Formats: sequence, C-alpha cells, structure tokens
Amino acid sequence: MPRGRRARLVLLLALGACTERMTAPGQCPAFCPGGQLQMGDTVLTDVIARDSAYAGYRQAHEGQALPVVDVPGIRSRAIFRMLPLFDSVAPIDGDTLKVPIAVDSAALTLFLLHRDTNASNLALNIYRLPRDIDSTSTFAQLSPWFADSLADSVNVSALYALPAAYDSLTQDTVRTDSTTGRQIRINALNGTTVIVLPLDTTQVRFPEADSGKVAFGVHVSADSLASAALGADEYPERDARIRWYYHYTIPDTVTATPDSVVYTSQVRESAFDSFVLDPPTPPLDPAALDTTLAVGGVPAARSLLRVAFPSFLRDTADVVRATLLLVPVEAVAGAPGDSFSVVAHAVMADLGAKSPLATSGPPTSSARVHLGSTDTVRIELTDLVRAWAFDTTAATALFLRQVPEAATYAQIRFYSSRTAFRPTLHVTYVRRFPFGRR
Amino acid sequence: MSRSAFAALALVPLAALAAPAARAQDSQFGISGLGTPGRWESVRARATGGAFAPFDAFSPLLEAAIADVRRLSAGVTGGTSWRSVEIGGTETSLRGSRFPTLVIAGPLSRRVTVAGGFATYLDKSFGVVTRSTDSLRGAPEAFTDEITSDGAVADLRLAVAARVHSRLALGVALHRLTGSTRVTAVRRFDDSASYRTSTARDDVAYGGFGGSASALLDLTPAVRLAGWVRSDTRLAADVRGRTTAEDDLPFAAGGGVGWRPGTKAVIAAAVAWRFWAGAGPDSYDTFTWSVGAELGSGTAPVRFGVRGGDLPFGPGGAAPTEFAVAAGVGRQFSSGRGRLDVGVERLERKGAGLTERVWTVLLGLTVRP
Repeated sequence: MPRGRRARLVLLLALGACTERMTAPGQCPAFCPGGQLQMGDTVLTDVIARDSAYAGYRQAHEGQALPVVDVPGIRSRAIFRMLPLFDSVAPIDGDTLKVPIAVDSAALTLFLLHRDTNASNLALNIYRLPRDIDSTSTFAQLSPWFADSLADSVNVSALYALPAAYDSLTQDTVRTDSTTGRQIRINALNGTTVIVLPLDTTQVRFPEADSGKVAFGVHVSADSLASAALGADEYPERDARIRWYYHYTIPDTVTATPDSVVYTSQVRESAFDSFVLDPPTPPLDPAALDTTLAVGGVPAARSLLRVAFPSFLRDTADVVRATLLLVPVEAVAGAPGDSFSVVAHAVMADLGAKSPLATSGPPTSSARVHLGSTDTVRIELTDLVRAWAFDTTAATALFLRQVPEAATYAQIRFYSSRTAFRPTLHVTYVRRFPFGRR
Repeated sequence: MSRSAFAALALVPLAALAAPAARAQDSQFGISGLGTPGRWESVRARATGGAFAPFDAFSPLLEAAIADVRRLSAGVTGGTSWRSVEIGGTETSLRGSRFPTLVIAGPLSRRVTVAGGFATYLDKSFGVVTRSTDSLRGAPEAFTDEITSDGAVADLRLAVAARVHSRLALGVALHRLTGSTRVTAVRRFDDSASYRTSTARDDVAYGGFGGSASALLDLTPAVRLAGWVRSDTRLAADVRGRTTAEDDLPFAAGGGVGWRPGTKAVIAAAVAWRFWAGAGPDSYDTFTWSVGAELGSGTAPVRFGVRGGDLPFGPGGAAPTEFAVAAGVGRQFSSGRGRLDVGVERLERKGAGLTERVWTVLLGLTVRP
C-alpha cells in the first residue's frame, strides 16, 4: 500500500476509534443547566386511607420455632409428640415370626435455635406429657404434667461452659458432660446448635401398649431472662427427635445353639409439635379493632393497610426513600432480649383478609421490634412505593405480618388510621427535573 | 431540470434524515445558555480559520457560493476534539467525535443551482457532575448529581443560488431548525442503602425556522466580496408534546473579502455579527473575525488561518472570548472528482473563571460523481 494511502487510512481509523467522553465536574450555577435537581421531604399523614387486622393465619403448631419462655407476664412451653416405635421385629428374613423388642435407653435431640445469651443457669427442663396432646392443648390443661413428670433437666449455660472439642470428621464444635453424657454440638456448616440428652428407661418410659408413642414438654428456667427457642417440624431437619436403643432375641428354632441377642437403635422424629402460652394471645376484639392493628402472636394476626397513593408521587416526583411509621399502642410483653420482625408485604390484589401476597415485584421490607420498647416502628418501603409510582395498575395495599409467623408468643399492636397516632408515610423525593428549560 | 439537480434535490430528504446525528464542537460555556453554536464551515474553510467560509460552496454559510457548483457535488465534514476544561483549579479532559456538516449541491439550470444539507445550529451535548450535601431527615446526606444532554439542533437548509451577472451571484435559503436531545438527570446518594438513586430521562424536541440571503460580488478578477444576512425565529423546546420554552434566535450578518494575488495563493478575511442578546440572561451579541490563506496548487493546497471573537453564552456579565489557529492540507484524487481535506485546529476559550483548550482534527470529503 502506498504511504499516502496508508496514512489516510490510519487517520480515518484514528478518528473513527475515538469514544465520547463529555462529562465534566460542574461549577454551579455558572456552568450548569438552568434547572437543578430539587428534593422534597414530607410526612404524609393521611396516606393510609383504610386498614384492618385479621387473625388466624397460622397456628402455634404451624410455626417454624417453639418458643420457651418464663419471664414475668408470659410463659411459653414447647410440646411435641414422637412418631411411634414398633414393639416387635421379624428378625429372620422370610419368616413371619416376630419377637418383641426391649428398650434399653434413648437419646433426645433438641435443636436450639436461639437463647438469651445474657441468661445465667439457663436450663431446659424436659417433662413427660400425655400422648394425646394436639393443637387444642392448652397451657392450663398441661400444667399438671409440668408439675410432676420431670424427665430430665439440662443446664445449657453449664454445657456451654465446658471445654470445646472438635469433631475431626465434621469439624463440629462439641462440648460433652462426661458424667451425664449430655452433649451440645454446634454444626460447623450451618451453625445450628444441637443438644443431645441421654435418657434411661426411668426417664423415658417406653409404652409397648401404645406402640412407642411418647410426648414431651420443655420448660425453660434461668436466674433471669429465661428465653430460648427450639426447632419445629416446619423447619426442615430442625425438629426434635429421639433415638431408641433396644435389643431383641433371635430364637434358634433349628439347632440347639443358644438364642442370639441383637442390640440396635432407631430414630423417631416428632409427629406433632407446638407450644402453649400463658396468657394466650388475646383475640382480636371487634371494639379494639377500630383503633388498633395487630401483627403476630398465635394464631398469627396480620394487618392490611390500604394506601391512597398521592398523584404527585407519580407525576412530578421520584421517590428516593419512603418509610412507614407505625406507633405501638403499648410495649410488647415478653423477655427483654427478645425481638421479632414485622414485614411489609405487597399484595397482588386487595381482597381483604384473603389478599394474596405478591410473589414477585419489589422485595419485602421489615423492621425489628424489640420487646419492651414503645419506639415508633419504621419500615422502609422505598422499593414498594417506587413500584407503585411506576405501575399504576398495582394494588396499593400492603400486609403487615410477623416473619416467621406463629414462631413467637409476641404480638404487637399499632394505632390504626382512625386514631390520632395513625400510620404515616415519610417520603423523600426528587422533583422532576425541568427538562427543556435553560 | 437537469439530472444532477434532480439528484441533488432528491438527496436533501436523505440529508434531513441524517441531520439529528449531527453535532458540533461543544463547550461548557453553552451549558447555561441555548447551547454551543455550530461552525458552518467545511474542513477547507475551517483550516483557514473560517475565513474561506463565505466563498466556499461546501460551507453552509453563504448560499450564493453554490452558484459556482456546475456538477452535482457533495461535501461532508467530520472531526474529533480533545478538550481540556479548567475550572476552579480542576482540569478535566473530554473528547468527542462530530459530524457537523453535509452539503449536496447541483445545477438546476445554466444559471441556477440548488443545494441542501445540514449543519449543526446548536450543540447541546454536555455532561455535568456536581457534589453536594443536603439535610435530609435531620442528618446531612451527601450526593452526586449527574446531568447529561446528548443531542443537537440541526439546521436543515434548502438553498437556491443564481449567477445573475458574470460578477454577481445571489442566493437565498430556507432553514428548518430541528433536533432533539436525550437528557438525563441522576442523583446518587452516598448512603445508597437508605436512599435510592433517582434517574429521570426525557427527550426534548426542538423546532424553529429561519431564512437567509447572500451575495457574492467580484470587484475584480482577483478580489471577491461576500455578504450575508440571516434571521431565525424562536426555538421551541417540546417535552412530551408540551412546549416548555421558546427562546429568541438571533439575527446575523456578515461579510468577507477574498483576494487571489496569484494562481497559487488565495487570501481571505471574514467577519460576522450575531445578535444573541435577546436569547435570555447571560446571552450576548457576538462579533467574530477570521483571516486565512490557501497556498499551492489546486490539487494539493496548504491552508492556515486564525480566528477570534466572542461566544454568545456565559456567566459573568461579559461574553467569553475565543481564539484559534488552524492549518490543513487538501488532496484531489480521481482526476478531480474527489477531494480529501484534513485540518487541525487549536482553540482556546476564556471567560468567567473557565478556560477551555481544544485540539480538533478534521476530515472532509468532497465528491463529484
């Protein structure tokens, strides 16, 4: 290629390869566009147009945790019934002959979801309960068994104080009371805490006549701040379980040799678990519903807030932050160290109590409520409010609910839109830029 | 109507379609005003500081000059600028590629020539980033604003010129001002967990009309005089079909003198007045001048020139000023059916605490099929 033509080609490529870079630091107002981004910040006091509270969404036996609490004003006890264990086995393949089993001992495994780390001498007390417990069982009905049927008691604080060992196979942290065989194991992968309690046949009575059904209750005690939560069967692989150690004899019907004895074990998970409260969550009083919104408790309550979305947030403003402000009627009773989440969840359609929760769209927002506090609850709704501003077909309503539901004894009540301390929406927004003007 | 003239007229709508992409060299001085006025000059004229623009048929300034185009011809100008902006002790480097002019011309009859094309009337491409802090919910919140505009107002021109006398050519043109900008305003908060980024985008459409007239008079075979006037209406800005602003556009006039002392030298000078002061606050009437020369044979000339003058927009109560030196070369090819022009310009603008220095490399192509 001739040199001149090559030079022209290089020049053309150089010009074509240039990319735009046109943004520079501005010195306003001298070297900035005439319009500036302006912000507004206001509390919309009448934006929650209507609201309602509904109860019955989830019962205690449907929760993902079993709270055990014993503090002034509230007591909660976990109860669970195990899947039955067979009372006989067929030891010879192809032979219908069955022989009875004899239980030697058992090991009860409890998943400790959380505890008050400020509590001293925190103990879990295991009680034998009647095998017919169900979702209708009440604190009062079961109180006699919690008075005289103690199976075992484990000082969790003392277990935690033991020197730790590491399971070389699983890397779990293990603390074992060599005297009693009680063990606390912290899973290296997911951090779950498991308490294993060896029980002998005086502590856990294997009732052959009832095909191995046993039931237990757990009461917590401590010097103070007695509060913890155990895993429930709604939480995968976190429910209580019992390993039965038993033996049986294989009869020798052919030769003259002595019968052989087989020692083995079987695990049984919980068939039912729940918790009972004293006092129980008060029902939603129709008279009180006019002035209060309820969230949480058992059965779980939710509150539906209908938002009269201001048109200016759609037309002339871009919301950069929106916060729902809820004023509690009173402090939530319970263990001072406890807390729970109140979540604001968009609904797909406003159908009252049966409004379906939105499964897509903006993420849910939540606020942590600490028991004993009367602070205003603030829930950031920025993403939801922005979604409402863009999607004019969306139902501008939201459910307040506890997450997880029916996993705690606590219920919070807020003032409704029909009171002076009504829910409000604090919005910060950027006004629409005056495009097209100097 | 000759075939070439018919083709020239047919190409005008095509040029109009391409017009919104046209942009000129931008400037921070135009941000607070209507924009940065475009340069209605080909690379040949630009390399002489703009002094040859009144006499150059492919500079969309003076339509009488197209009277000498005797074959269908087209000229296009492109360029890339590297701009440093020094303001408040901070220097920022910017760059941009531009495609500012296109002229297609051809004879309608023996005396009459028509032309069409586009040029950049106002460049409205810029980006500004500012930092600030405001009190939100009782706490100071720092944020960054970024306002960008990308687009221009193009000048679509339909021109007619006639050589009414061997020494006199006259021309008139209608101008349709049209274009749009894609504007974006973004506010980003440092506390992005609490405050979402606000982004607003819109398209602003611009429209207006203008008319111009011009004349070329050969005083002697070696001396040519040029004069032109132009008046534009108001520039309307529409957002979503609603007019948000209407700004006065200037009346402008100018002239030039060209002298050919020999077969291998041409010297020219030009002046122009544009009355922008009515376009709103911080707008000023401007005067610009240029002097340049072209030396060498017609097949491979060398050009150089200087120019200076005022800018129409800027803060501080006085018009910013600019001064530039330029040079370039041209090369004919294909037996004169095509010409490639290359130019380079060094420009400095000053005013109200802001100094801009710009290197621009220009490339022009003229073809006569």
